[in-house]
Amino acid sequence: MGRLLTFASLMDSGATRLGRASAWLIVVLILVIMTDVTLRRWFVIGSTKLQELEWHLHGALFLLALGRAYTRDAHVRIELASERFSPRGKAWVELAGCCLFLLPYVAAVIWFGIDYVGYSLEYDEASPSATGLPHRWIIKAAIPIGFLTLGMAALSKLIHASVFLFGQEKFAHQTSFGRMAKSVGGTHD
Amino acid sequence: MISFIEFLPFLMFLTLVPLLFSGFPIAFVLGGTGLAFWGLAVLMGIENPNSFFLVVSRIFGGVVNKQLLVAIPMFIFMGTMMEKSGIARDLLNTLQLMTRRVPGGLALSVTLLGVILAATTGIIGASVVMMTLMALPVMLERNYNKPLATGTIAASGTLGILLPPSIMLVVMADLLGTSAGGLFLAAVVPSLMLAIFYLIYIFARTSLNPSLAPPMEDAEIDDPLTFGMILKSFVPPLLLIIAVLGSIFGGIATPTEASGVGAFGAILLARLRGELRFTVLRDVVERSTLTTTMLFGLFVGATAFSYVFALLGGHDQILHIIQATGTGGWTVLLILMIAVFLLGFFFDWIEITLIILPVFAPIIAHLDFGGHLPDPGLTTMWFAILMAVNLQTSFLTPPFGFALFYMKGAAADLVDLKDIYKGIIPFVLLQLLGLLAILLWPEIALWLPAAAK
Repeated sequence: MGRLLTFASLMDSGATRLGRASAWLIVVLILVIMTDVTLRRWFVIGSTKLQELEWHLHGALFLLALGRAYTRDAHVRIELASERFSPRGKAWVELAGCCLFLLPYVAAVIWFGIDYVGYSLEYDEASPSATGLPHRWIIKAAIPIGFLTLGMAALSKLIHASVFLFGQEKFAHQTSFGRMAKSVGGTHD
Repeated sequence: MISFIEFLPFLMFLTLVPLLFSGFPIAFVLGGTGLAFWGLAVLMGIENPNSFFLVVSRIFGGVVNKQLLVAIPMFIFMGTMMEKSGIARDLLNTLQLMTRRVPGGLALSVTLLGVILAATTGIIGASVVMMTLMALPVMLERNYNKPLATGTIAASGTLGILLPPSIMLVVMADLLGTSAGGLFLAAVVPSLMLAIFYLIYIFARTSLNPSLAPPMEDAEIDDPLTFGMILKSFVPPLLLIIAVLGSIFGGIATPTEASGVGAFGAILLARLRGELRFTVLRDVVERSTLTTTMLFGLFVGATAFSYVFALLGGHDQILHIIQATGTGGWTVLLILMIAVFLLGFFFDWIEITLIILPVFAPIIAHLDFGGHLPDPGLTTMWFAILMAVNLQTSFLTPPFGFALFYMKGAAADLVDLKDIYKGIIPFVLLQLLGLLAILLWPEIALWLPAAAK
């Protein structure tokens, strides 16, 4: 069971690393927009490539951070009912949610996403604009890769929830839900 | 009698609603429900087992490959930078000093702060929490009347979703296929009108009863207000916002360009104040990325959901029902407004717009209001503004209005829910007055975009 938790933190740290790195794309994006605006307004050099680079960066930015946002619990929830749940109740919600919704959704997007990227790669699809960016498969690949990080974060959450619900006490304490139970001062019911 | 297959898209909604309340992230519930219904349709043999491919292609085409949506992380970055580098807090202090002789001066300052901070969080819940943490202790310290203080914070914290540069208007513009700059313009007069309603109310209440909002004693002032202070903490952020909005309204820049320049400007302002340490920058980068990811995670989930809804024929059926029953423009508008108002008790604007608008977007532009609108081409714009004001009102309406719960959560023991309810009622009445005015006189929203053309 300790090994399971180690595996979970491995998954988490993978998603976290990619998410942390992709966060800095927001600064790159600001610089690209500034460059584009400066060239366009003052030097009258419009660049389709720079404009397309803007949405490429934006897409990569949020897709690659999907997993990390789940680890950091940044995805918005409606907590009207669930805020009254005990840590055990919350663990059940994550367990059921990951199995019934998140993991199938992630699997479907990755499965069809690989095909989607494959087609693009096969024809080496480029921007419809002649002056746009080539190799569109690169940005398209951010969809399955981003969902992969989401899957990794979900797997980790699933392990934490299961160990907390069904595992031995000493391991249950080490899970994110165990820490939550400790911090609210509750014992599990 | 409609068949089960015809009923399927509606069953999607009936299944969705209780699931949303489970407390599992909404983005994933939307994606998972969409997938489940697609799977059901495949099993029933009415859907091709490869058609989920189209959902992925839709995620790319509808969310990733959109120049306009790039403005969202940029506005979020701009607002977060202003908050984290202390620009917002200084602004509140300076405003407070500038308005200290005016009755209700602090309440007035808070209203202005709400405008600036709204973009940092992207969603109402977070924006109300931030405003409460920042302004409520200051107001109570100054012995402001509790209902007045909480009412002001809740109303101005939510007004930000309407005031440009509003992220909600960018999303609405994208979903309704209209121009974001145009929607920004249309929102200017209605949101200023509401802000002026608030200010008149605050001014009148506190003039009649000054004990509700005691003015600042000169002895309490640590730093007297200097011209340098105004120049340093008030003028720069104001100029930045005016520059960003002005360049969009003047047609000089697209919203995407203006937002990028705004984000860069916020970095410069932080640098000028000597606040641009690496830790601050990293914090701003992290937070704005997480907020952006939260919004777009939802966008992707809602895309999957509404695309499956469309694959199952949901859109055609709604059109069919509206045509078959001969429901007119006003009835459709009224039903939508009531539905949105009720949804606003439980959901933030992002869920509501992402789930509802794609369903009704195709019919909205073609609704017929006779000669009520100056130009039938502006129906979408008018509708979006009505919906925005309506949503904001809904967030504030007791007993459910969820901005109020967020506020109570952030304020903890500082105020009772009773004070919050009592304080918000006048503001809700002002909102309804504003909504009615925009409904009766569409020109309030539409004359500015028409004049700019």
